[in-house]
Amino acid sequence: MSLVAVREDGPALLDGYRAVIGDGPIRTLEGLARRLRDRRLVMVNSTATGGGVAEILHRLVRLLNELGVSTSWEVMSGDPRFYGITKTLHNRLHGAAGKFQHDDYDYFHEVNRRAARELQLDGDLILIHDPQPAPLVQHRRRPGQHWLWRCHIDLSRAGEDAWDLIAPSVALYDSAVFSHVEFVPPLATPSYLVPPSIDPLSDKNRELSDEEMDALLEPFDLPRKPWVTQVSRFDRLKDPVGVVDAFKLARRQVDAHLVLAGGSADDDPEGAEVLAEVQARAHGRNDITILSLPPDAHLVINALQRRSTIVLQKSLREGFALTVSEALWKRRAVIASAVGGIPLQILHERTGLLTRSIEGCAYQITRALRSPPLRRRMGAEGREHVRDNFLHPREARDYLAVFARLLGMGV
Amino acid sequence: MTGAPEFELVSVVHLVRPAGIEVHDLEELRQALERVPERALFHHTAGRLLRHPATDELPPDDISGWVAGVVQDRETAERMSFAVESSRSAEPMRAALIEVLNSVPLKDRTAHDAPPGGDLVFLTAESVPIPTGDRIQDARELIEHLAEADASVWFYHLIEQPWSSPDRAPLDDWLRSHGAARLAETLFQTAHTGRPLEDIRQRVLRRWRFNRLGQRVAAAAGSTEKERLEAGREAMTRLVRRMNQPGDET
Repeated sequence: MSLVAVREDGPALLDGYRAVIGDGPIRTLEGLARRLRDRRLVMVNSTATGGGVAEILHRLVRLLNELGVSTSWEVMSGDPRFYGITKTLHNRLHGAAGKFQHDDYDYFHEVNRRAARELQLDGDLILIHDPQPAPLVQHRRRPGQHWLWRCHIDLSRAGEDAWDLIAPSVALYDSAVFSHVEFVPPLATPSYLVPPSIDPLSDKNRELSDEEMDALLEPFDLPRKPWVTQVSRFDRLKDPVGVVDAFKLARRQVDAHLVLAGGSADDDPEGAEVLAEVQARAHGRNDITILSLPPDAHLVINALQRRSTIVLQKSLREGFALTVSEALWKRRAVIASAVGGIPLQILHERTGLLTRSIEGCAYQITRALRSPPLRRRMGAEGREHVRDNFLHPREARDYLAVFARLLGMGV
Repeated sequence: MTGAPEFELVSVVHLVRPAGIEVHDLEELRQALERVPERALFHHTAGRLLRHPATDELPPDDISGWVAGVVQDRETAERMSFAVESSRSAEPMRAALIEVLNSVPLKDRTAHDAPPGGDLVFLTAESVPIPTGDRIQDARELIEHLAEADASVWFYHLIEQPWSSPDRAPLDDWLRSHGAARLAETLFQTAHTGRPLEDIRQRVLRRWRFNRLGQRVAAAAGSTEKERLEAGREAMTRLVRRMNQPGDET
């Protein structure tokens, strides 16, 4: 169990965000923070590194402190057995296969009970992220505190056994927050919808000079043709094989190069299997490049997205798919499946193009490659849509607004 | 002059929640519209202005957007869009939307439905108003602050408050009680044209500057020859200073 020390060196985040979204939204954020300045906020999750939640927390905790809302971040840790249980819990909440052992429930609560004793949870507002630390509320809630559960995962297909493990705890929270309405389980606790967000100042999204992009992409020796790119791990639900098929259909009409960039599959047996399937499907094609990138290749992904003519996200199922917002932020023409949180980001024909089939995807690739004005128009509108709705300051603002609401401020 | 001497500008954050109502076809939509909370109607119609403040052209409201894009009944969708654009508060909008759907034969209302996964899920929005600390004393100060304010400030005073109090919004009242009825009219009329918020901001500010210019010209016409010469000399001095120091905007 530990308190995470968030890096506070470098220029103030608030100044950086102000330069990106303007003074008006920052003043709204500051106004909201002023109302909560005498409260202490504690964030809790189960890891300080790796994964989207930790990435967001490193920024949000620092931003909230800059705003004058005293915020700390506690990490709940466990032993291999606990992580085995939470892995099963995670998979089952996603609707995937998995089985709990007969005493897993007791052990899961035992670790939470221990964490409740050790973590510094004396704040006025406690924001618990994801299922692993959800039972803390049962073991540590003090009078006058307000507890909020933030679920970052899609619970629409949650297995009953997994939901039963955490539902009694979730019911004790003052409110719960989900990324998308489809992810909300049947719940008496008041639920709010707060979409996740991207960081415009991070390596994955910051502006890059031409020289930087040249240097980052030079090792891959990609051809001077329009690139159609999908950045996703090699997972069947991201449909990389479908991407290859759609690209092959589109290539009958237009000249382009497909780049499939995913995480290294070394430690993921299923990922390695899917990667092999994709390689087999692309065998013999010199217009397709498959890149297996290390987890910290943020700048390479940034450069790839920026240099692509079209970015795809042809998933069969999705959580929120922030890769879409990342590409929109870079003014790219994005073609994506109408699943999960994607339709919130892609307003069809305005900020991008939604598809539902391989043929539909091929048609939209052809159409967008042939029409620079269409790409420019969607790219411009997509960037503004992300600026207004999917950047970190908006997410910070929404959390503060939920707390303001819990404290009785609002209408 | 009556009313409070000061008026504080307020911005707003909308917290979105599931409304617990989901519809699959036009008949279910008609039934849902009879009971859907006012705040849900607000979120799906007026609320889109705040979600797309800087767009060139607003997307349709969520309800007629669903009827056009998912159910694919474009004629009914057009008529519903018109009903939304013509209503400034919940109950008239609800009645107008139901009237459109009532005019569609029942068999068509059930035949026009969403494909799997395409149901319309109603959401509702709770408002968290946030005082900005900007207190204005007259019309000029109001415009100065609005020129720099977040889109949510414009939305709260010009769209959301009139929606909640259709008789007269607090800012409208305050301006009229401070002798600025004409500005109030300009502000609220422009806000109800259904344009994006940034467009409304540009139009109001342009009109304000134009009127101020007119007032200055009229004032100058009534001044003495000596005052006009003096004003001309000052203007020339400022121009020369700007030409010599291009970076200096003062």
